[in-house]
Order: sequence, then structure tokens, then C-alpha cells
Amino acid sequence: MKNKKCVAMLLAGGQGSRLGVLTSKIAKPAVPYGGKYRIIDFPLSNCVNSGIDTVGILTQYKPLELNDYVGSGKPWDLDRTNGGVHILPPYQGQQGGDWYKGTANAIYQNLEFIERYNPEYVLILSGDHIYKMDYSKMLNTHIESEAACTIAVLEVSMEEATRFGILNTDENDTIYEFEEKPPVPKSNLASMGIYIFNWEALRKYLTEDEKNPESSNDFGKNIIPMMLDAGEKLKVYRFNDYWKDVGTVDSLWDANLDLLNPKIDLNLSDKNWRVYSRTNAMPPQFISNEAVVENSLVTDGCEIYGNLDYSILFENVTVEPGATVEYSLVMPGAVIKKGASVRYSIIAENVVVEENADIGGDPAVVGTSGWGITVVGANLRVGKNARISANKMITEDVKEGEEI
Amino acid sequence: MRASAVAGIIYANANDGLLKELTTNRSMASVPFGARYRLIDFSLSNLVNAGITKVGVVTRGNYRSLMDHMSNGIYWDLDRRNGGLYILPPYITKGAKRYNGSVDAVYGAEDYILHCKSDYIVLYNSDVVANVDISEAVKAHIKKNADITFVYHNGIVPKNDGETMLLTLDENSKISAVDFSIEGNVEANFSIGITIIGRELLLKLANEAYDENLESINRDVVTGNLSKLNIFGFEHKEYVKFMNGMESYYDANMDLLNGEVRHQLLNKKRPIFTKTRDDMPTRYGTKSQVKNSLIADGCVIDGIVKNSILFRGVKVAKGAVVENCILMQEANVLENANLVNVIADKNVTISSDVVLKGTEDKKIVLKKNQSL
Repeated sequence: MKNKKCVAMLLAGGQGSRLGVLTSKIAKPAVPYGGKYRIIDFPLSNCVNSGIDTVGILTQYKPLELNDYVGSGKPWDLDRTNGGVHILPPYQGQQGGDWYKGTANAIYQNLEFIERYNPEYVLILSGDHIYKMDYSKMLNTHIESEAACTIAVLEVSMEEATRFGILNTDENDTIYEFEEKPPVPKSNLASMGIYIFNWEALRKYLTEDEKNPESSNDFGKNIIPMMLDAGEKLKVYRFNDYWKDVGTVDSLWDANLDLLNPKIDLNLSDKNWRVYSRTNAMPPQFISNEAVVENSLVTDGCEIYGNLDYSILFENVTVEPGATVEYSLVMPGAVIKKGASVRYSIIAENVVVEENADIGGDPAVVGTSGWGITVVGANLRVGKNARISANKMITEDVKEGEEI
Repeated sequence: MRASAVAGIIYANANDGLLKELTTNRSMASVPFGARYRLIDFSLSNLVNAGITKVGVVTRGNYRSLMDHMSNGIYWDLDRRNGGLYILPPYITKGAKRYNGSVDAVYGAEDYILHCKSDYIVLYNSDVVANVDISEAVKAHIKKNADITFVYHNGIVPKNDGETMLLTLDENSKISAVDFSIEGNVEANFSIGITIIGRELLLKLANEAYDENLESINRDVVTGNLSKLNIFGFEHKEYVKFMNGMESYYDANMDLLNGEVRHQLLNKKRPIFTKTRDDMPTRYGTKSQVKNSLIADGCVIDGIVKNSILFRGVKVAKGAVVENCILMQEANVLENANLVNVIADKNVTISSDVVLKGTEDKKIVLKKNQSL
């Protein structure tokens, strides 16, 4: 195997339980985003655009759809003879095997994979964020600073800092302390969960951490503090562009509607930084004579006969005459039948919303307290004239005329 | 049937001359169609959907755009270790002709046919828009023990430079007579340019025809062998259109706005595959008004679009109006421009306030990369 300068390891095993019914059947990185993407398209495209052609994807929770989606890696040009994309599930060895116990343990269990490429650097990524980032710039900064580890950070407000893993640094951006969700933050540099390690250092500390039965085998909680205690040089890498965690229903909805906001800089049609995705053979979208389509993203396979405003439609969605979709995400294959209305909602894959059903609520009408995005889980049916109010998580079929 | 029992041969330059406004720089097979397709997508997909995994594409000239489109066949699952996609560019054959007719084309593909080891060959002209169940046609061919099967359609006979072959069939679908003299305004059974034939027979007929200096398989070879061979018809009942002029090209595109035609041609059971691009979904702006239109991904629409076909990456700015138009990839229509009855080839720019109105009978055709 030819040596690689940098190998990326993408942590894609988390359940993403805060997304509720949206991740009941699929891993979070496989959650659809932006009309034709999945969350994992962002780190994968970033890797390829940054010149990293060897990526291990660590899967554990509901990997079927994710495995299928990644496949040979062809859509990202990661079907390589040397390197390419590799799905790495937990496995059995001679001494038995174990589930991935934590982020660090997941990498530890795959040290052999990394060794095959004998890289100088290892890039650790997660599949929870929407952002475009040139990892090669971060790698150059890391190499120049001669640090053992560099962590990408985003400057957040001091209020928000209480919700993040915060890195406290000196005036040279050298890290002296890591604090998880500090009640009184000393700094506003939030970790983005993107790490570059010198491979030798990473191997050493992962192996050491593994010997400690008390450790939760987590990068933030264990590996970084251990390296700081050992006097290793750790630096931050400041990132200033669009970055959004899509770990909750609200943030997923927000990050999607950001694509419709001209003031937000998240251009997915930049030919110099493409975001690749696996696409199916679908006909072009058809907009009928009676349709009204404004402020929306619509993709292949959609047939629109109704009204759309501030919405994102994924492939193969049908909106029948007289139906209204506003401030909503409608995922692949869903059908919104005649006269139905969907507002401030996420309609998951292959849902059928029957005639005149009414889903979700406008915060201006409902009032902000108790308001929230309504989610209808994949493959469900919402019966005729059913009424689902704001802030509901629907996990089973809704009967005709039912009110929830 | 074993996987490699049937192979396909697509003739990429079929009747190029009838669509010359769009074929100066490309073959018939790579003419853009239906917002995100090229004509060859129909033949390739129809063959692949019938389980055929070995397809040769015979090219005569201007095939660079076609090669770019087909790549290694990946989009049709034809990037195979066994079989897959073969591009058969011209080379000088015995008589030093360069694919002047279908005989010469087959003769030029002789090596491919010799080595493909399939029992049957499906010959396919690229100038027809149809979603044909080739698998059923092959089954019928085998069941009837036919030597040759022509896929035909019953309808108004299209004009096709004297190439349209009318078929007279008996009650068993055996062809008893063919006729090339009638075109237009008559309802009849006509061949749609898809022919199934045994491999050995094809080689034999092509060799004989070549030695006798015959040009057209249909006109010369079939006509001469009608009594000697078992020649059958297989009816394709759904939508068919030949690209035999800009009018039929325009009409076939607009026919996709009709739900029935669209769902016949672009159905889920036999999907039409095409090269994918990594465009973002199409973005509709605050003042956009889009009615009765077929639109590909990657467009940005802030203006008015009616009864039109927009290919990938088309931009229609605020205040611009696009009506009854076909705008190919990357057309850029700037503010307050007004286009009616226009067919714009790839990468056309229409400046602000430019008004360009063709009529129903005379569409304006803009060349590739043209700026107005």
C-alpha cells in the first residue's frame, strides 16, 4: 500500500437521538439535506476537494442506508485503487470484539486500517455538520505550527459557548485547557469536532487511553486533556465561514432554510468547491399551470401542481393541486395530496399526506411558547382531514380526521 | 437467457442532416432533449432496461460530445469488466467508405459483432424518442423463431427522407410487404428504427450486401429477402417521435409537458438514465412565476417562465420572460429580456432588455455560445 500523507477518519456511528423519528431507521450522516444531499456529502466532498483521497467511515448505528449511499464512493471520486472510501464497522478479532465505546475507541479499533497507509497525519471528522472547509489549509497550518494536534474552532457568542466544547488558548492560539459546556466560559472558541493529529502521537495516546478502564474513550473528554497533561503542543485553527450543527430537529430545519436566505453564504453551486451527492435517475421537475412556486428549492422527479413558499423539496415529491407547502422540508418520495397543507414541518421520506390534512403551525398564529417544528416519520400516512398541530413528532400513521 | 445472449448496436449519426441546426458540432445521438437528456439516453436506457449489458455505439463523425456524455458507460451501468460500452469510431473499411449507410455501419462494427458472442443483436437508430420494452420485443423474436423483428408503431407516418419503412403484417405479425414510398398524413404501421436479428445472420447479410454495394439494410437487404426470411413485427403502442426536423424536435420536447406522454417516456419501471452533474436543486426566487414547464436541476429562476423546457444551469433573471422556449444548459437570460418561441443551444447569453420573438411556425434558433 502506498503511503498517504493524510488519512481521514469519519465518525458516523452516532444515533443522533435528538433528531427523533428522522433517525429511527438511519444513521444521522444519512439524513437528507438541501433537496438532494445527505449530511455526509459535506465531509466527503470537503475531503476530496482538499486532496484527501483515503477516508475510513466508522459506522455502528443503523448502517444499512449509509453503506448503500456511500457504496463504492464513486460520486465523490473515492473509488480508488489506492486509498478511496472504506466502511469500517466494529468487528470480531481473536480476543472477541466490541462495539465502538466512544469516539477515540472507534479510531483505536481501526489502528490497523490507518497503519496500512502509514500516514503522517490523521484527520478526524464527524458526520453532523453542514459546512464547506478546505482541510488542506488546516493541515498546512498544523504542519507549520509543529503541533501534535490541531483542532478547528468557530468563534461563537459567549451565551452560545455554554452549549459547546470550549478551547481555552493563549495569545498564540495554543490550547491550555478544554472545557465541555462550561457554565462560565473563559473563551468563545467552540470545537467543531475536526481534529488533525500527528499519526505517531495519536497512536500513542489512543493506546494509552485504552489501558484506562475508567476512560470513556472520547476525544474531547479524554484524549485532548491527556495530551495537554503530557505537555504536548495543541493549537486551534480558526474557521470563519458557514458551519451548522444539524443534530436537532430545529437546527436541521434552520440549516435547510438557510439555503433560501440570500444573506447566508452557503453556495452549493460553486464550481470550485462542489458538493457531490449520489443521485438517482429521475425525470426533470415539472411545474404545472396552476402551481405557484416561490422562494423554494425543488429537484429532479418532483411534480408540482400546488403552492410552495419557503420550502425545500427533495427528489420525487408530488404536491397535488390546491395543496400548500410553506416553511417546510419534504423529503424524497413524499406525496402531498389535494387541498392538504403543510407548514413549519419536516415530512420524511415516502410519507403520504392525504387530502385536506393539515400539518404544523405558524408561530405567528400559534404563539412562540409551545411552538416548534412538526416532524412526520418516514413511510407514514396522514389520513384525510387529519390535523396535526405544531411541535409534534409523529411516529405512527394518523387516522382520517384525527387531531393530534 | 444468459446475460450476454443479446448485444446492442446504436447508430449514433442516424439522420444527422435532418436536425442540422443542432448537429453542426454533435451527432444526432448527443442532441440535448427534455431538460436533462441526450437522445442516446433513450436507446442506451431501453437496451439496459432489457438486461442487455453489451452495447456498441457506431459513430461516423462529430462524436466528441457523445464520448463526453457517455464516458465509460457508468451512468447506464455499462462500465463492465465483461461487455459494457464499446465506442466504435469510424475507420476505413474495405471499400473506403465512411459509413454511408446502415450496411456500412454494421460492416464497420464487424469486429465488435464477431467478438461479442451474443446470439442476437438489437440494432438501434438514435433519432427516435420512445421508451420501448426491448425485453418483450426480444422475447417475441425468440418465441416466433424470427430471423428479423422490426419494432413498429401504428400512427401517422413520419417524414424521414424516404427512410421510413411501412410494414404490412399478417394476423401472426409476420411481415408480408414493405413500402418506402409513402410518408406523412397517412396512418400505417411503420418501423421505428429498432431491429432484432440473429448475430450470424446479420454478419452474413451485411457481408453479402457489402459485396453487392448495397447501402441500406432496411431498403436493400430486407426488401430483397422478404420471401426467404421470417421477418416479423413487434408493436410499440406508446409514444414515438422521430427527430426528423426542428419542428418534430420542438414538438417532442413540448410533448413532455403533457403528463401522459411524460409518464410514458420517463417512467419509473423503465427509467431513462443520463449523465449526472452535481448541480444544486433549482432555486425559485421571490418574484418567480413558473407555469407548465419542465425544469432541470441547477437553474435559478427569478423571472417568468411559461410552457418551456429549461436544461441544467439556466438562469432567468428578475423581470425576464421566457415563453414557449427550449433553453439548453447554462443559458443566461438577463433582466427584463423577453424570449418567445426560441430554441437556444448550450451556453447562450441574452442581455438585459433584449426582445427575441419567434413565431409558432418559425422558431428562432440560437447557436451554441451565442451572445445577444
